Amino acid sequence: MVTKVVMPRLSLTMKEGTVGTWYKKEGDSVEKGEPLVEVFSEKATYDLEAPAFGVLRKILVQEGVDAPVNAVLAVITAPDEVVSEAEISAEIPKAVEGVEKRVLASPAAKRLAKEHRLDLSLVKGSGPEGRIVEEDVRRFIEITSGVLPKVKEVIPLSGFRKTSAERISLSFKTAPHSTVVMEVNVSEAITLHNRLQVSYTAILLKAVAKSLAEYSIINSTLQGNQIKIFEDVNVGVATATENGLVVPVIYNADKRSLEEIDVAIKELTEKAKQGKLVNEDLAGGTFTVTNLGMYGVEFFIPIINPPEAAILAVGRVVEKPVVVDGKIEIKPIMMLSLSYDHRIVDGAPASEFLRKVKKKIEKAMLED
Amino acid sequence: MRKIAYREALREALREEMRRDATVFLLGEDIGRYWQGAFKVTKGLAEEFGDERVRDTPISESAIIGAAVGAAITGMRPVAEIMFGDLTSLAMDQIANQAAKIHYMFGGQAKVPLVIRTPFGAGVNIAAHHSQSLEAWFMHVPGMFVVVPSTPYDAKGLLKTAIRGSNPVFFCEHKLLYPLEGEVPQEEYTVPFGVADVKREGSDVTIVATLYMVHKALNAAEELEVEGISVEVVDPRTLVPLDKQAIIDSVKKTGRLVVVSEDCKTAGVSAEIAAVVAEEAIDYLDAPIKRVAEPDTPIPFSPPLEQYVIPSEKTIMKAVKEII
Amino acid sequence: MIAEETRKLPLNLSKEKNIDLYRKMLEIRCFEEKVFELYAQNLVPGTIHLYTGEEAVAVGVCGNLRKDDYITSTHRGHGHCIAKGAQPKRVMAEILGKKTGYCKGKGGSMHIADFKVGMLGATAVVGAGLPIAMGAGLSIKLRRTDNVVACFFGDGASNQGTFHEAINMAAVWKLPVIFVCENNVYAMGTRQSTVMLVKNVADRAVAYGIPGVAVDGNDVLAVYEAAQKAVEMARKGEGPTLIECKTYRHKGHSRIDPAKYRPKEEVEDWLRNDPIKRFKERLLETNVVMEAEIQQIERKVSAEIEEAAKFAMESSYPAAEEALQDVYA
Repeated sequence: MVTKVVMPRLSLTMKEGTVGTWYKKEGDSVEKGEPLVEVFSEKATYDLEAPAFGVLRKILVQEGVDAPVNAVLAVITAPDEVVSEAEISAEIPKAVEGVEKRVLASPAAKRLAKEHRLDLSLVKGSGPEGRIVEEDVRRFIEITSGVLPKVKEVIPLSGFRKTSAERISLSFKTAPHSTVVMEVNVSEAITLHNRLQVSYTAILLKAVAKSLAEYSIINSTLQGNQIKIFEDVNVGVATATENGLVVPVIYNADKRSLEEIDVAIKELTEKAKQGKLVNEDLAGGTFTVTNLGMYGVEFFIPIINPPEAAILAVGRVVEKPVVVDGKIEIKPIMMLSLSYDHRIVDGAPASEFLRKVKKKIEKAMLED
Repeated sequence: MRKIAYREALREALREEMRRDATVFLLGEDIGRYWQGAFKVTKGLAEEFGDERVRDTPISESAIIGAAVGAAITGMRPVAEIMFGDLTSLAMDQIANQAAKIHYMFGGQAKVPLVIRTPFGAGVNIAAHHSQSLEAWFMHVPGMFVVVPSTPYDAKGLLKTAIRGSNPVFFCEHKLLYPLEGEVPQEEYTVPFGVADVKREGSDVTIVATLYMVHKALNAAEELEVEGISVEVVDPRTLVPLDKQAIIDSVKKTGRLVVVSEDCKTAGVSAEIAAVVAEEAIDYLDAPIKRVAEPDTPIPFSPPLEQYVIPSEKTIMKAVKEII
Repeated sequence: MIAEETRKLPLNLSKEKNIDLYRKMLEIRCFEEKVFELYAQNLVPGTIHLYTGEEAVAVGVCGNLRKDDYITSTHRGHGHCIAKGAQPKRVMAEILGKKTGYCKGKGGSMHIADFKVGMLGATAVVGAGLPIAMGAGLSIKLRRTDNVVACFFGDGASNQGTFHEAINMAAVWKLPVIFVCENNVYAMGTRQSTVMLVKNVADRAVAYGIPGVAVDGNDVLAVYEAAQKAVEMARKGEGPTLIECKTYRHKGHSRIDPAKYRPKEEVEDWLRNDPIKRFKERLLETNVVMEAEIQQIERKVSAEIEEAAKFAMESSYPAAEEALQDVYA
């Protein structure tokens, strides 16, 4: 029997994945359930297990190649089974739409584009059947000369970067962003940090989670004509890794203690660094916190992690003179900026939410 | 400048070379004082140079070329005429295996300064045995030059070069070109082999054409000009050696190539020129190369049939427009 | 088949001329035997067509020619080359594909030429040499010299169209060409009598209005005599002659053709009729030369051919890229 190894759907939104390392060679015997191939999906790496016992007869999608969900990546057969090439080739996935799209251009146009390291897909063709001819390229160069920089290197967009690019542009294009900014005095948070030995991120997350639970319009998503307000408060923490940005999720953060959150963050951050996050670590977020304070950033305007309703950005802590009861005092201050989907909420509720977060941090109202 | 006909230009070349060099002589069927050549190229030459040097032969094509080969390797400069290009097949061994190979085969010992003149081309309703264009056969024989003059000027200059050279030359003429008049200077000149001539400058499409097709290409270019398409017409003038650079230079300029040739399309002159450009200048092409040539049929007799197979201004224009 | 032998040599040739004829035939015989020996050792690329047994033809004809006269030759051409005065060592080098060969290794056994001695080259297309020889004759006539051309070809070639075209043209223009048909009975494996109804190739001369003579091609003096007459005619501008020399190749057509299509008795008859053996016997019988002189000649010729083979074997091959040279002059 021929068993197909297919690209798994690792999340509801996943359309395609990238094949990573094959752990087995063609002809190797495989046990059902043993890791067969690494698959990159959206922001996770996943070890796809062999679906059956037998021999890895043929690998159809090689390492580094994208394949749509359900595409056949390989076939496994019983050890002595004879399978025709036709049976196998019938399983070869079609190229992912858009990935291999051929630009119709004449050899002369291609030469000129190559000489100028120009991406021909930017040029509109005027020849028969829309073919790009040399003159089109020449004109394009003339028009854009001095504007378009010369390309040094071309890196194909794939894997994490591709998923990330798609998601961010989706978010930015569909959700009208607006941002509100507030200063937060973190004196009490520092005291709490020192007392409980928990990270500032944990403190922040707890404040956010509690605020979301109380002010749930922010803990929502827009689907078609409906705003769905989530019961669960699952807060994602944007984390930079070598392969790009990932957002592991702390589930039910509002219901977990500060210490529990702290431990969960540490675990997820470690997994993220090692590229070992699994789909369960990443799916189901309802809100995201992103922090660039460690890079010396005062504040920044984040882009919402779709399909969420808002995202909170955290800047660095800096000691500033502030007026307390008519006197100037030095206090540790941090900027919070909340980008929100203006279709779901307006400025007032967004500000209201942010004030709640501020208050919880400043008053250290974080313990249950 | 004075204008003379293509056949007169050829005759002048023969006369001048025969006057200049006593080893030059002519042989062929009915080229002498009685018939003076089927196309009257040799008219008056027997009167001036005698029957010995303007020699009528029996109808023995193989022996005509063989005689020329034997004479050429022993110090003479024969110019053999084969009455119709189609009949060269009768002499193919002497042309391809003997004339063309002797210099090489014998390690460079012998020179074979021999010219074979013959008319090709259809258009006068004389059917399958008198109308073919077989230049490509001879291009396929290393050791021989293949010359294809399209104007009286080129005809005279190239024939002189052919007669003065040290190699066998297959000199292709065209029946319809003989009466064609063109400017030919009084003073002495020659046209070198392997140097193409741009018969018309243009910027949108290059047409490479030879012999009578040069004129059809020029007519087509004229009409296309009216429609705003600028055509460059390149005449290689010799197919071996082929001025590849001139063709490539023109293609670099225009980015488009149409090759017009009166021979059959398959493995023909146009195939070779297209291959050269595809191999050496594909990066300058903005469109597929088009070949306008005869379909792979013998030349039919009846006028509408014959006209159908010969490349025309119309088919040339159509090809040009297909790639613009 | 074998002419009546007399106790006296029929031609009044000088002793030197007789020795020269003998020596040349012997030279060709030794040469061909050496070629066969080298061939058997795989030292000769391609194929070979040996002249063994036909030596009297080339030698008898060329004995009448001057250095500036011409000959054309065939695929079985080693003997013609040597008879016309080409150096055996350079012929051998060409056969071995060496740079020192007459054609720098470009021609090989079937395409040897030495234009310096008037050897206009061997063509391997049967019958193709006739028009070329005729053309050389035309050239002589136009240049008004008194040279002649001897054109060697086989019985097989006499059925080619070029035979008709060339002889007719030479006849009608009275060209100084001697058409020498080496009738060795077989065109490859095809017996001449099965492809021709007339008894002699020479009979065809009538069709062109020129003299045609059939002679014993294994009798060098008979060939010499016929050629002498033809050459004289040609030099005087009286036109061509067709001489048919009846002869036989001792070996097969080419390489190691065992020639089983030939009856054993026929082969034995012709081997007894060996032109060299016959001429040697006559020279001795008529006391033109002494046995000791013959032996001396044989030793000398043998040594010369050994030397030629040594030269050829020690010569180097041409550089591969020389293949691209000499296409055009």
